[in-house]
Amino acid sequence: MTIAAGIDVGTGAVKAAIFSVENGKETWLSRAILRIRQRDPIELARIAYDQALEDAKLTPNQVDYVATTGEGESVPFHTGHFYSMTTHARGAIYLDPESRSALDVGALHGRAISIDERGKVLSYKMTSQCASGSGQFLENIARYLGIAQEEIGSLSQQADNPEVVSSICAVLAETDVINMVSRGISAPNILKGIHLSMAARLSKLLKSTGAVSGVVMMTGGLALDKGLVAALEEDIANIKDMKTIVRSHQDSIYAGAIGAALWGAHRFEKLAASGLLPKAA
Amino acid sequence: MKTFVGIDLGSTTTKAVLLDENREVIGRGITNSRSNYATAARVASQEARVDARFTLFRRALAGADGLATDLDEFLSALERAFRLEQFVEQLADLEQTCLGHIKGDRFAEVEGAVKEALSEVFERLRKEAPELYAPGAKRKSDFFRDIAGSRYHAHAEEVARAASAPYDLLINVYDKSIIDVENRPPEGNLSDKFRRALSRILSADQSASNIQSTIEDALAIDLEETYLVGTGYGRVTLPFSKEHIRSEILCHGLGAHMMYPKTRTVLDIGGQDTKGIQVDENGIVANFQMNDRCAAGCGRYLGYIADEMNMGLHELGPLAMKSDKPARINSTCTVFAGAELRDRLSLGEKREDILAGLHRAIILRAISIISRSGGVTDEFTFTGGVAKNEAAVRELRKLIKENYGEVTININPESIYTGALGAAEFARRAHEGGDSMEEAA
Repeated sequence: MTIAAGIDVGTGAVKAAIFSVENGKETWLSRAILRIRQRDPIELARIAYDQALEDAKLTPNQVDYVATTGEGESVPFHTGHFYSMTTHARGAIYLDPESRSALDVGALHGRAISIDERGKVLSYKMTSQCASGSGQFLENIARYLGIAQEEIGSLSQQADNPEVVSSICAVLAETDVINMVSRGISAPNILKGIHLSMAARLSKLLKSTGAVSGVVMMTGGLALDKGLVAALEEDIANIKDMKTIVRSHQDSIYAGAIGAALWGAHRFEKLAASGLLPKAA
Repeated sequence: MKTFVGIDLGSTTTKAVLLDENREVIGRGITNSRSNYATAARVASQEARVDARFTLFRRALAGADGLATDLDEFLSALERAFRLEQFVEQLADLEQTCLGHIKGDRFAEVEGAVKEALSEVFERLRKEAPELYAPGAKRKSDFFRDIAGSRYHAHAEEVARAASAPYDLLINVYDKSIIDVENRPPEGNLSDKFRRALSRILSADQSASNIQSTIEDALAIDLEETYLVGTGYGRVTLPFSKEHIRSEILCHGLGAHMMYPKTRTVLDIGGQDTKGIQVDENGIVANFQMNDRCAAGCGRYLGYIADEMNMGLHELGPLAMKSDKPARINSTCTVFAGAELRDRLSLGEKREDILAGLHRAIILRAISIISRSGGVTDEFTFTGGVAKNEAAVRELRKLIKENYGEVTININPESIYTGALGAAEFARRAHEGGDSMEEAA
């Protein structure tokens, strides 16, 4: 039996997941998540890992492989590191084997990843150069409106007349939103407007990787945002030639950590088979 | 006395300037704009009136005897005491507002723990407040949101850890409450606050009554708001009529001209825009260029970096100055700058080198905007919040010299008020021209 941990250090939160793998059977033992909120991500990675270990009733020396992903490369106790495309792809397949795309929407990046049935990455595209419509932007706005992240989705779904965010730039859009507040636009209409503009970008991204049909699994922190998922479905429904089915999973936010743990276990088993065991942390 | 008010509603900060009839600035006030613009305008002009009182105190006390210390020392002690009064008052408001926000499902089982943690956090905030305003104390910012916010975060983290109370909820309560507090113009009688501040610093010595009566006299002078002109990003959303609005470009041009009459090129780096302006010998704008669609390289860039590093905005420049090997920064996006910073830190690059690189990136963008506006002509004036940042200034001087040779570069310590100063002068001219407040308002 192989025990592997995955630690995904993101921009907004640190996620940890511990798995055991035996004869190809994957069992999720424990998980932990901590929002960063201006604290040291590497220190939080340690805390999240300790929490996950405690939950799984494991000691560090029982873990065969500690895999990091995201910005976790500098976590001192890691065995190996995986690129987040590969971990999110693997995580998406774990959450729903029917997934043929993963749409990872985190604090700073939106990433569309096209994957095969075994979780191998076929191609990917990401938003770059410009943070317009990023999760960080949404988070800043929510903080400005005094709304907890967990409340964003349900509020957005109460919108009756969404106000479109006109700015192309995330920073200028902040000012836009501040003006909306002084004009008395309701929080649900502001949030839905942001969701719609993010969704338009994301569906374009998906289309550019060829994901015009099949199941898309949302991963990353914003997968939990029901308002964004709904806006994405709305947007896709309006695009000709696009019949993509969008899914999200209650554990989507752990996709990177899950993928890291599973790839970690895989690598460990291959190394064990070839007699080249890494030293466990 | 007659005063003329200029208000510059920037996207990040709102500034107000009070001019007297002799075109002398008697008061300046600033607040952050992250609330509604009407409130921001009220707070900034109230701050300018507070500052004007200090000018009046200075005028009244100059030459007065009985001061135990010298005048500058006395006035700065009085100002610190006044700020402390203000801070403590807003802190009490914040605490009450926070308590009011502890409700709903998310607090169902932890209400007691959150309340207890909250009162501990505020206890600590109150206790350290006098320290924040002690002589020589360095504050991360002068805005309540920033001072209270950064200290609240720090204490909340400690308290939450010690009491295993939910940190996220503590932060959320703060996020909800700070907006309410910011949207409430500070209450209370200003004169009373001055009196309380005065009694904080005046010892029992016999000369006190002398000073007290001088201060009372200065407090009694009426600061009549004769004419007001608004400018800046938020001017359109304000309850100003058309006669009371001037464009930002015009105000910046005129403001820079008032500070430095020989100025021909003005660079203004504000929170979310960068402007290159060419003005003629009367301070009239001949040409200008500004960023659109993208805020790359604006002041907010440094704001993101400061947040990322958990530092105050003022602290960035001095740290960047320590670098002799600036990093080459790739991302121009303000929002991504934080991520790039983190990447580079984790690769072991030095903080000062990264910061120096970030400052250079801002100035490079600015130089390209100036060149589109028509280049640099002698004299050149750098205005806006970023002009206070020595690392940005160092980079600017270097690049201007490389590209345009030896030109006079003016940087006024009060450069952030340039737009408001221009607006105040427009107000004074409008009044001189025969307009009055009544017919326009």
